[in-house]
Amino acid sequence: MNINATLLGQTLAFVIFVAICWKYVWPPIIAIMEEREKRIADGLEAAKKADDSLEEAQLAFDQEMNKAKEQAAEILEKANSRASQIVNDATEKAEVEAGKILSSASKTIENDVNKAKEELRQKMSELIIDTSEKILGNEISPEKHQELLKKAAAEL
Amino acid sequence: MASASGEQTSAEYIQHHLTNLVCGKTPDGWTCDHNAVDQMGFLAFHVDSLGWSIFLGFVFVALFRFGIPKLSTEAPSGIQNFVEMCIEFVNDNVQSIFTSAKNNLIGPMALTVLVWVFLMNLMDLVPVDYLPTLAGQVAEATGMVEDSKDSYFKVVPTTDPNITLGMALAVFVLIIFYSIKIKGLKGFLAELTLHPFGKWMMPVNLVLEGVNLIAKPISLGLRLFGNLYAGEMIFILIALMLTFSSISIGLLGVGLHLIWALFHILILALQAFIFMVLTIVYLAMAHETEDH
Repeated sequence: MNINATLLGQTLAFVIFVAICWKYVWPPIIAIMEEREKRIADGLEAAKKADDSLEEAQLAFDQEMNKAKEQAAEILEKANSRASQIVNDATEKAEVEAGKILSSASKTIENDVNKAKEELRQKMSELIIDTSEKILGNEISPEKHQELLKKAAAEL
Repeated sequence: MASASGEQTSAEYIQHHLTNLVCGKTPDGWTCDHNAVDQMGFLAFHVDSLGWSIFLGFVFVALFRFGIPKLSTEAPSGIQNFVEMCIEFVNDNVQSIFTSAKNNLIGPMALTVLVWVFLMNLMDLVPVDYLPTLAGQVAEATGMVEDSKDSYFKVVPTTDPNITLGMALAVFVLIIFYSIKIKGLKGFLAELTLHPFGKWMMPVNLVLEGVNLIAKPISLGLRLFGNLYAGEMIFILIALMLTFSSISIGLLGVGLHLIWALFHILILALQAFIFMVLTIVYLAMAHETEDH
């Protein structure tokens, strides 16, 4: 257990190993650890930034959405009023058309009725003349009594 | 174990385990002969403790520098994780003690001290007879000694006061170096002489502060040595139980060895940590410039 030059040898070894550690062991690992620390800090900052921009985007999105909703409501309203207008127009047209058809139909009917009346009158006058001829013989000829017959036909 | 010490008495067995392999200068020149140890002066080396110490130093460098195949920022491998954990632990300690001053030598030195001393302490867990017996066989086979019992081989470097005081000496030199560098020679001398009692009591102050200063490396080295020496001694005593021919004592010895080894793991790490923290604290004190 005596003290001898081993002590100085160990001191020298200590100095050498500390120097090796100081120059070659410590710096690369510390550098790596600091770089990692920096990366993590950067990452956190970036995440925070992304968070902020997400919030901004959300805000912008909400605004756009509201605008779009308003527009949609406006468009819908316009479309509704346009639709009711179209329906009104169509109804009006149809009514006019219906009136036209109705009036032309009633005119036709009137014409037909007049025609039928005219025919009926003709037939009637012929029948009367025929009958009168038979009763009176040949005394009365259509040629002789043309004027009379016409009068009768007009009275019928 | 019994075979290695069959003809030894217990006292011889213990003595054998506590003796270093010494190479030194005798009046007849350099020799590693154990019988010439008494003739060696200061110029002698404990080849075993110094050899293990340097070997373990290289183990430290190899593990921390070359053990990592590729340093990675994103996906550190297992060894890199371990190394980073150690460095972070050391760095936290250094930064909590070195609050004002900055010195980028302290971190690497503290790391070296922690890991190196821990590795040296760890040799204590190798069963006490393995390596000495192996060394004895080698020495006998290579003809260095006649009988393997004449070869001495002490494995745990930190049970050698030369080793622990050697490191303490380096720390002491650094304390003085940084004291003078930071405070100036005048400031350092003033610190030694002007308190606690003021300048009219200079000699008394010098004695008090001188003891204070010298006590740092001495206590630093002897604390580590004492703890490890005591631990080693208990391992040797437990190993001695196995040399008795009684099976029950042998079994008791095995159990005790296990218990002591488990408990000793704590001491090994703790002493390495204490050595590191005290090194940092002493150097931090050397950096302090404020007046007391």
